[in-house]
Amino acid sequence: MKLTIAHLYPTVMSQYGDRGNLVALLQRCHRRGIDTEVLELNLGAVVDGDGVDLLLIGGGADSHQRLISEDLIEIKGPGIRRAVEGGAAGLAICAGYQLFGHYYRTADGTDLPGLGIFDAHTVHRAAEIGARLDTITQAGEVRAVGNLVLRWGDRNLVGFENHGGRTYLHPGAQPLGEVVVGQGNNSQDGHEGCVYRNLIGTYLHGPALPKNPHLVDHLISDALRRHDAGMVLPRLDDQVEWRAHTCALDRTSPGVSRRRVSPRRWPSGGRRAGRASGAPSVPA
Amino acid sequence: MHPPLARIAAVNVGTQARWLSRTLGRGGGTSLPGLLAQRIDAGLVGALAGELGHGCVLVTGTNGKTTTTRMLADVARRFGWTVLSNREGSNLLRGVATVLLDHSSRAGHLDVPEESIGIFEVDEGALPGAIDTLRPRLVVITNLFRDQLDRYFEVDFVARLWATALRRLPADATLVINADDAQVAYLGEEVSGGVAYYGLEDVRHAHGGLEHAADSRRCPRCGTDLHYERSFYAHLGHYGCGQCGWRRPAPRVAGWRVELSALEGTELEASTAVGNRVFQVPLPGLFNAYNALGAIAGASALGINPAVIEEAVAGASGAFGRLERFRVGDTLVCLLLVKNPSGFNQALRLVLDESQAEPVHLLLALNDNGPDGRDVSWIWDVDLELCAQDGVEFIMAAGERAHDLALRLKYAGMAVGDPGSGSPTDRTVVVEEDVVRAFWRAVERTPPGATLYVLPSYTAMWRLRENLAARRYVPRFYEQVELALAAA
Repeated sequence: MKLTIAHLYPTVMSQYGDRGNLVALLQRCHRRGIDTEVLELNLGAVVDGDGVDLLLIGGGADSHQRLISEDLIEIKGPGIRRAVEGGAAGLAICAGYQLFGHYYRTADGTDLPGLGIFDAHTVHRAAEIGARLDTITQAGEVRAVGNLVLRWGDRNLVGFENHGGRTYLHPGAQPLGEVVVGQGNNSQDGHEGCVYRNLIGTYLHGPALPKNPHLVDHLISDALRRHDAGMVLPRLDDQVEWRAHTCALDRTSPGVSRRRVSPRRWPSGGRRAGRASGAPSVPA
Repeated sequence: MHPPLARIAAVNVGTQARWLSRTLGRGGGTSLPGLLAQRIDAGLVGALAGELGHGCVLVTGTNGKTTTTRMLADVARRFGWTVLSNREGSNLLRGVATVLLDHSSRAGHLDVPEESIGIFEVDEGALPGAIDTLRPRLVVITNLFRDQLDRYFEVDFVARLWATALRRLPADATLVINADDAQVAYLGEEVSGGVAYYGLEDVRHAHGGLEHAADSRRCPRCGTDLHYERSFYAHLGHYGCGQCGWRRPAPRVAGWRVELSALEGTELEASTAVGNRVFQVPLPGLFNAYNALGAIAGASALGINPAVIEEAVAGASGAFGRLERFRVGDTLVCLLLVKNPSGFNQALRLVLDESQAEPVHLLLALNDNGPDGRDVSWIWDVDLELCAQDGVEFIMAAGERAHDLALRLKYAGMAVGDPGSGSPTDRTVVVEEDVVRAFWRAVERTPPGATLYVLPSYTAMWRLRENLAARRYVPRFYEQVELALAAA
């Protein structure tokens, strides 16, 4: 069995160690004897909607989004849509996630059109409140920066978020999970990320996959089910992965200063947002 | 003329705070005194700096600013000037204020000879404020890499911030910038004053293609992908834009011949205003060749003759934790601070070059406090796959984010042992979160006469150094400042 991964704009859209996501996908396939092929699809390259099992797009700055927006819609859009509707798995991080929604209004107020696969739109916080971004301090005030923990079904996902845009899901759109620590989509409704069919969008960096092995395997399973509906992934020795996952939970605190946080598990009663609201997707 | 009362009060409060914090042993006290004094008199820093006979120089950039500042200050000192510099302290405006306070009289004036200059390292984000307050005659910018994105957000944002600030430079100021870093070199197009470029021309050290850690691949003028004829490391190289035609400016101070001899240092032949000169740089690696070129270009812009520059560069020493070597019993320890992917890659290459066929003993330590960057994602942009090669005898992963390091090393192809397990096999990553304990365990495992290489992030280094200073293996950092000043 072979898994074909379309890595969208690998040179432009890669921020905060995002290449760790690809490393995690490949290694967890190889450790199970699953062959992989990575298609590096830069500007100008089209997506073969029938031949791709998994789509991957990383984060980037506003300028990167400006650079790819047209190519994403005009050149790659048809293939991406066909792949997603056909059940391909996908992971879109941060700036990539934003462009899979309807549009992204940048800090200077211009609208960058997106694919509209997620029924959501994103507005930079500076554009929402008309803030100036002349200094590091001003830029920091409008960004959501910090550790991010979300509840995904009955498990946690851990990572780091760093984004100026606030994403609003439209009625009926399904969030990936609920924020436990951090700000998530828009710092208000407690949602984080979005799911459409087997495509996941999220603000998780960290990078997102290595410390969340259950999320990697979820993506691999979805992707492989295109070839074999009854496929079950063999388990791997994930002690190192889960220790890093747990350590990230331990280091997390909702306060700004957590220099003296003692190493302990995050208490379940300390969540900022409950799981009850919304309808988090349940992993396999 | 008498300074206003507030200035006199500010200077005295600041000086007292400085004395108090040193007496109580609360760190080097490089930040608080300046902060207090500035609160009392906001015009303090500008007024005191204005009394420097030869004005102010600012050095910024992601990597190399501390070393470049030190070299430039050494040159000016050897030239006979009294140099005020934040050698080891805070690189925010308050750190500059503290240095100025240290040299002020109780009457609120700077107490320095006429032949004096301020040479200050400033944080990337602090450059705009420093330009407006200190009105520098010279600004040196080393490079722009992705670093602590939780604090600086996007590399592009920092570049825009600098461009805007540099337009407010005094008309007679000079900008000295690295031609090999496209985003930095382009700043030269955006200022009206004098610009001097420096860069590397010795293509024997270059290779095609870009590393994972390359940040700036696009033309700063038109946004098209830049064509790299060659790159030295990360995105530093010789480039041009096929679309708009903008290309790397020809450097005035160019390194034509660079002979690296690992940790021993580098022989650097560079073009200067008076022809080619050979500089002995006692600091290792291509990145320090860049730092030397920046200091040479900066010193030349100050009108200092090459003979003085040569002597001063030859006497350069590594900055706090950038490269410290000391002995613990029979073990040689080499401490290399790592702050971002590009610096980490350079440090790793250096360690592997230095050890050649010898087995490598490595301690990596990663924390996620403010000065380290709270986001540890950046280790995935480091080529830690280099550690999986033969010759790396053991690696200890330490720090508050030791498990993140261990995971990264696992995906780089190394086996990771159970934490606390008795006798880990060779070439297994051992995890020990406490950096001090990890250090002593690593020393124990390093055979007599061999070198232990320690690559910590900022606060991990701080913590380790504190322990080593208490045991007298290394000087406390402000003692180091005073030793250095006494030697100068």
